[in-house]
Amino acid sequence: MGSVIIENMTKQFGDFTALHDINLEIQEGEFFALLGPSGCGKTTTMRCIAGFEHPTSGKIKIGEKEVEKIPANRRNCGMVFQSYALFPHMNVFDNVAYSLNIKQLNASNPVKQLGIYARLLSKRLGRTPKDIQEKVMKILKYVELEQHAMRLTSELSGGQQQRVALARALVMEPAVLLMDEPLSNLDQKLRHSMRNTIRTIQQDLGITTIFVTHDQEEAMSMADRVAVMDKGKIVQIGTPTELYSNPLTPFIADFVGTSNILDIEVVDRKESNGTTTLKGDSFLLQSANTIEKKQAKAIIRPEHIQVLPYDTEVNKEEVNVLEGIVLMSTYLGPTVRYDMRVGNQEIIVDTTYSSGTSIFEEGRKVKLSIEYGRVLLI
Amino acid sequence: MKARFNGLSAVKIFIYAFFGIFLIIPLVSVFLISFTNEPVNIIGSFTDPAIFSTTIDKLKAINLENYRKIFSNAGYLVSLKNSLSLALVVMVLVILMCIPLAYGIARTNMPFKKTISALCTIPLIIPTFISAYAFIIMFGRAGWVTYFYELLGGEGMLIDPYSKTGIILVQVFFFFPYALWPLVAAFKISDVTLEEASLNLGAKNWFTFIFVTFPLAIPGIISSALLIFTVSFSDFGTPIVLAPKDLNLMVVEAYREISGFFNWGGAAILTVIMIIVAALFFWLQHILTKGKNYGSVSGKPKQQKMVTNKVVTRSLSVYSFIIVLVPLLAMLSVLLQSVATTWGKDLLPSGYTLKHYQTIFSTSLGNIQNSIVLAIGALVLSVVIATFVSYFVVRQNSAKMDFMTSIPLVVPGIAFGIALIQTFNVAPLQLTGTAILLIIAYTIRRLPYMVRSTMGAMRAIKQDIEEAAINLGATPLTAAITVIGPLLLPGIAAGSVLVFITVLKETSISILLAPPEWAPMSLAIFQNILRAEYYSAAAMSVILVALVLVLQGLANYIGKKQRL
Repeated sequence: MGSVIIENMTKQFGDFTALHDINLEIQEGEFFALLGPSGCGKTTTMRCIAGFEHPTSGKIKIGEKEVEKIPANRRNCGMVFQSYALFPHMNVFDNVAYSLNIKQLNASNPVKQLGIYARLLSKRLGRTPKDIQEKVMKILKYVELEQHAMRLTSELSGGQQQRVALARALVMEPAVLLMDEPLSNLDQKLRHSMRNTIRTIQQDLGITTIFVTHDQEEAMSMADRVAVMDKGKIVQIGTPTELYSNPLTPFIADFVGTSNILDIEVVDRKESNGTTTLKGDSFLLQSANTIEKKQAKAIIRPEHIQVLPYDTEVNKEEVNVLEGIVLMSTYLGPTVRYDMRVGNQEIIVDTTYSSGTSIFEEGRKVKLSIEYGRVLLI
Repeated sequence: MKARFNGLSAVKIFIYAFFGIFLIIPLVSVFLISFTNEPVNIIGSFTDPAIFSTTIDKLKAINLENYRKIFSNAGYLVSLKNSLSLALVVMVLVILMCIPLAYGIARTNMPFKKTISALCTIPLIIPTFISAYAFIIMFGRAGWVTYFYELLGGEGMLIDPYSKTGIILVQVFFFFPYALWPLVAAFKISDVTLEEASLNLGAKNWFTFIFVTFPLAIPGIISSALLIFTVSFSDFGTPIVLAPKDLNLMVVEAYREISGFFNWGGAAILTVIMIIVAALFFWLQHILTKGKNYGSVSGKPKQQKMVTNKVVTRSLSVYSFIIVLVPLLAMLSVLLQSVATTWGKDLLPSGYTLKHYQTIFSTSLGNIQNSIVLAIGALVLSVVIATFVSYFVVRQNSAKMDFMTSIPLVVPGIAFGIALIQTFNVAPLQLTGTAILLIIAYTIRRLPYMVRSTMGAMRAIKQDIEEAAINLGATPLTAAITVIGPLLLPGIAAGSVLVFITVLKETSISILLAPPEWAPMSLAIFQNILRAEYYSAAAMSVILVALVLVLQGLANYIGKKQRL
């Protein structure tokens, strides 16, 4: 087990810079997610750690050891591939036993090696040693696949294949577990249960895990900490709550969860109660947060806006009240999403829906209330 | 990945060197000789300064005199004209003959479709010089067709096999499958929805065929026509057996120049022209299939409405049987001849015996052994080279290597043979007349097919499978042995059976390059035919075809297993 430290890593493919000066410190036993849109460099970062790509400059340390000179096959990073990359000519057992067989092969003299090669190529030419058998069956039991050990991987369901891939990576007792979009090939329901399975196993074994995904929900629900990447750079690192409540850039505000991002101008700062007055496109807003810049952006989460009938009197302290018109309402089951027009601006509002409450119809004039504290400034 | 020098780079250099020495240098030197009119020792020039200076002197003396002579030497010009017109006629006839047959297979429910399709593969397994020889048995002075013809009141021969007509007929009936399958595919391009759209717009059935189905098939038709042209133009087996003395053809002329008169300059010019013509037509076909492939417009599976009209399907079926009957009868004639005591101008032999086979197994067993040893040698070399080449092409996108290994496709066998003889008949690499050069020649000639087969299998193995093995601790070599190798095996097996078969069938290279002590079956049959020892030629041919059939069956079996 070990920590992973990346210092000033840059990766170039010809003229294209895939990674700019990446710095990461991943603690031992941590579940760390690399989150970002496709092409942001998250997979390249992971492939550099695994040793499939070589950084143009910078350092990678696994368990405090520099790995630049260590080839991919000796880095001891268990990897779960997006496509699982299970060996199609081997059954479940042999897939999982592969790394153990290779370990034995590398530790043997040339004569013994021939025997192991023969055994790997044909079952009839030799038996897998007892200790390997036991280890494989133990890990298969752990991922609940022991009764499928002799099946071909192509006969398994997507979720089962996923667990074979996981078992195959775990059986080598890797220093770090790398997972490249492991859930993207599964259907919605399975994805949810696999999230729990992976998280439970990770906690159980206390293994340092790096998880690459473009799905913010996945990253937020599973990881201890998340690094959000964009265009080859790390934009923000933090716990899921930090990212959600304190996005550092509009990109993160938009990528992590949904946000209304409004262009505003700071018109007044009151030092006494710490409120800032903002002038938007055609309305004024108060925020409990402060910002140094004059031209800035206000971030308001859709679920932090309340929709009220137009004739409601709002008397609460520190609440913005705006007028809006419903452009469209979308019923999503537990919530209703409104597309609203406020002045010349379009914003999104999510309200919880419970039976009995009515949905505001299109064209209706409404009031929107937003607490000062919910208006973030970037 | 940083480019590091490792075992793989060494292999890459070795492959480039192999092709450089045994393909590029011979072709370049043939090109030079066509100007200098005397042998140029390129390899020697690198090792010996004296040879180098004479080579420079020869190159300094380069002029177009030699090419000017072609136009004064009527023989060459006539042979080019003859070869071109022969290929042209064969091309037109094959396409006309195949269109109804292909339409029948692709778009109708004609009776016995499966049987007909199966019979259409017969011509592919038979070396052309055996087909030519079979035509002699049928149509020759003592042939049974001639017997029938005279019975019906004809005089002389129905068709003289030793004539241009004879050559055309053999090529048409034995090359048509090369065009048939692309044509079948072409007729399947037109989708049922397109045709229904045409009908829906008010067009009649025949109108739809002429203005929708047929135009969509035209790129496929032209492409197969060009292919047939190249195949016919490069064919050596048929003309060498059937061409009469007064019919000059490029392949025969080139063969005579080199093996009869040792006229290096003349052979070189003929070789260069042959390669240019073949390459031109190959290139035309290539751009045609690339540019106007209507078939790849949409990825969705096509559906066809089958014609069920009984009059149409039955007449197509009868027509198809007549076509496949010719090669079938030709083969039966060879089989019958091989067990005949004597077979004069009669319907059937006068008696039956196995003594020709006995003769072969007592005197010509060596030829069979030679064939098998040479084919195994070529096979092993092809497997090794093709595996690495497809690795470089698929995994490292080595377009240069892809191009280089495709060159043999456009070089006619006889031209390649002449190029090799001219390059390797002097020191330092004096290989002419050795089994090694023969094996190398077979290998290079058949490698493009082998590479296609392994490349397909290599493409099916995703990069991450290999990475997974490395991630799990395997070195690249261990990964190659335990993961890539086993996954590649079906592709290699299918390709190597194909190489084995084509080496057994190979005519031009065997006749040009094989030394007497390494004469393979094809050369032995050829010599028997020349010496008019027809019965043993027939028996040997039957053994050769039987061997090919068994191997073909094996290849099909592997192919089927692979798909499961």
